[in-house]
Amino acid sequence: MAELAGVFAASHAPLIVRDWHLLDERLKAKLTSAYQRLGARLRSARPDIIVEIAPDHWSNFFIDNLPSVCIGVGATNAGPPEPFMQSFGHPTLAGEPQFAMHLLETALASGFEPSSSQRLALDHGFCIPLWRMEIDPLPPIVPIVINSLEPPMPTIARCIAWGNLLAQAITSYPFDARIAVVASGGLSHSIGEPTMGAIDEVFDAGCIGAFETGGERAVIDYLERALVTAGNGSHEVRNWVAAHAAAGSRGFELIEYLPAPEVYVGCAWASWGPHA
Amino acid sequence: MKRTDFALSKLFFDLQKGPAAAEYRADRVAVIDRYGLEPEIRAAVLADDVAKLAPLVNPYLLRYYCSAAGMPEAEFLEKIRG
Repeated sequence: MAELAGVFAASHAPLIVRDWHLLDERLKAKLTSAYQRLGARLRSARPDIIVEIAPDHWSNFFIDNLPSVCIGVGATNAGPPEPFMQSFGHPTLAGEPQFAMHLLETALASGFEPSSSQRLALDHGFCIPLWRMEIDPLPPIVPIVINSLEPPMPTIARCIAWGNLLAQAITSYPFDARIAVVASGGLSHSIGEPTMGAIDEVFDAGCIGAFETGGERAVIDYLERALVTAGNGSHEVRNWVAAHAAAGSRGFELIEYLPAPEVYVGCAWASWGPHA
Repeated sequence: MKRTDFALSKLFFDLQKGPAAAEYRADRVAVIDRYGLEPEIRAAVLADDVAKLAPLVNPYLLRYYCSAAGMPEAEFLEKIRG
């Protein structure tokens, strides 16, 4: 039987790659250290499969066909399409169709109706954490896209339900496999808005407090209220919510919080048990 | 829930592709005219009126577009902040 090997979350930001050469050395050292510490935990979990939950930054979907949730069920997914990501060195990334189809079927049998894709392009949201955590070789990646770019978006309560469903799918998978969950995105940021570049440290502290406290209700209550006025990129915290629930809504361990206006993101890194 | 403008969004979405962006920078009018934009929106695009375009399109697409069109980030930030 499969088991949950660990649950992890990390921020991403294009400028961490695109403008790396322009960033202050101290900031680069802090970013590198945070990703490496999280990567060490992920590697020590020895995952055979990584389920990664990330947003789609208009790489796969458009408003003519915009799923709220999409599961990547293909044997192969495309690497990041962004020119600044080409040094990542993975023009394709292996998927894990058997578990992905089990997840999809578990979802449909449980009253969830995600879309599915046999070939997604895994943009910087998926690939920056994998790259900067130095996960090499990469295990197969089962991607889950939760819409956090274009309203309306899934409710926070629904993201909790998705996390619970993911945990159920992992424990019911009838094959030996260690499956880790990685959430990518958040915390506060604002892109293409008048507040672009602003980091909302109060919002971030509230998120961290809710995740540390544990439980479902605290997370739902806080985020349904606080996301209304947070920057648009902050909605990516939905991925952290799903991860939180997949970990049983236990409190997480914050590895690092780094408000970094230089890359436009309130960056955070965290893990939930069993390696928390 | 506000709805964004489909034609404008499609223009900005398509310009994420490198060759399309290059064509756009070379001949903006020719590309724009393939999208059937409302006259007022078309004028705002041609005038780089970021503040007028902002309510009509997803903010990420707006930022991508301005970058693809060759607008420096500092100028974009100045325009979007009004």
